[in-house]
Amino acid sequence: MNTNPELPIPISYIAGNYFIFSVDAATFLRREHNICGILAGTLPQVPQQNVFTGLPLELMPEEARFLVEEGVACIVDEVNFQKQGMQSLVEEDCKKYLKELESQGIETMQMLLRHKERQKEGALKKIAEKKATKAKKAELKQAASDATADDSASPFFEDSQPSTPSQVSSRRSSTLGSRDAMRITPAISHPPLPQQPPAEHLLPLPQVPSSYPLFAHLHSKGYFLFPGLRFGCQYLAYPGDPLRFHSHFLVVSTLWDEELDLMKIISGGRLGTGVKKGFLIGGTDKNLEESSDAGSNVRTFSIEWAGM
Amino acid sequence: MAKPTPSPPIPNPSALTTFISSRPTTSATTLQVLHNLQYQHLWTSLKIHDLQTAFPISLVSGLPPHRVYTHPDEQLYMVEHGLREEDIELDRMFVLPTVQGEPWSLEKMAAVFDALPNIGEEGLRSETQPSDAVQGSAGADKAAKLAEYYEYRAKGHRTKEWGGKRLLLAMIDKGMGGEGTVVYYVVQEGTVKPRQN
Repeated sequence: MNTNPELPIPISYIAGNYFIFSVDAATFLRREHNICGILAGTLPQVPQQNVFTGLPLELMPEEARFLVEEGVACIVDEVNFQKQGMQSLVEEDCKKYLKELESQGIETMQMLLRHKERQKEGALKKIAEKKATKAKKAELKQAASDATADDSASPFFEDSQPSTPSQVSSRRSSTLGSRDAMRITPAISHPPLPQQPPAEHLLPLPQVPSSYPLFAHLHSKGYFLFPGLRFGCQYLAYPGDPLRFHSHFLVVSTLWDEELDLMKIISGGRLGTGVKKGFLIGGTDKNLEESSDAGSNVRTFSIEWAGM
Repeated sequence: MAKPTPSPPIPNPSALTTFISSRPTTSATTLQVLHNLQYQHLWTSLKIHDLQTAFPISLVSGLPPHRVYTHPDEQLYMVEHGLREEDIELDRMFVLPTVQGEPWSLEKMAAVFDALPNIGEEGLRSETQPSDAVQGSAGADKAAKLAEYYEYRAKGHRTKEWGGKRLLLAMIDKGMGGEGTVVYYVVQEGTVKPRQN
């Protein structure tokens, strides 16, 4: 299952948002770089269903920035890349691609048929076995009561022997034509477009809010960060994968000399304690040397209600 | 036709007002917090410290009647070793008095923490010795466990395993005449995981 995507991972910049469309990339980022993002895709048929969302994965600008700085990903101007890429496709490439899709569809259909057959065979076998044991029991009973009449059960279940259906249907599936092929909707556009977009479609580092140093600082300490809207803060910091841990902190970033309402500390601290979390406030210390890695000059304070 | 009623006598100033006006050189906020700690929360050996920082800040310190904060890992250690909170000698706790609406910033908070002595250093340790001398073999066993605990804690102070510097942030409300409530929040430096309340 450890399929590592080709680096750098292209992050699609669409209408001001950052998206990842590949499953491999999404799992890789979560597994190796503690970046979860938010699954933003709904089913085309049921767009109002928003509990179980799927790809694409939407990233916060901070996450996108961090990945680019780490050299793991690059930002792609997806709209232009798609437009120009599709226009520059040669007729032959198009045909080849469609052909490929079709053969994939046929393959999938064959797999499906084979699976169905196997299921059918299994079910038939079970039925036959059941009948056989029943017949045996009946036979034994009859043998005990009447030794002469013993040919009533055996012809009945000989009939129900599977008449080698696998050969029949495999013959059928091998002759599947293009009309039987399953229609495939590709989720990614490479191929036909190249996996790594050409340099002219790459964008510079994403713009990030002033809380980015704090984000980088917490991320470097191994925290997983989520948007904090649900608790009225900037980030939620989880000590490990959010599927395994409750979050530890409601995080709010502030500038070093920005005036801070003490009431904010109280409300954050009180809310945090009420939901078994700490309230974390932090920002870049102007007096500390800025080093190469972002977030190393950040100071943080954790706040909890004292209960008195 | 009604005779003017004699104006009621001016009531005596409250204990707090008397206390504050008796020490005109100290900030009223600091004194109110000290007063609250002494009489509502029954803290003892209270002191006022004037910090030499870029901002004029005075702290209150004292000994609470029972532990105010226990780090979750420390609590786990204590449970594992059969220690109770009462067994452990109390630490001097620092309190930072503030007023609602007071301009505050991360810079100020950091300045206060920089001026605090390191946790576990002189000045934090309480003057009182463990009061009740424990007797018998059970007592000796407990004493050994306690010694082990103190040693481990001293190590923990260096690695910040059980949290770094900490203080209580006290805030009072002076608007509407102030109704005497003081709220207390534990503030710690760094990312210290929350307690399991």
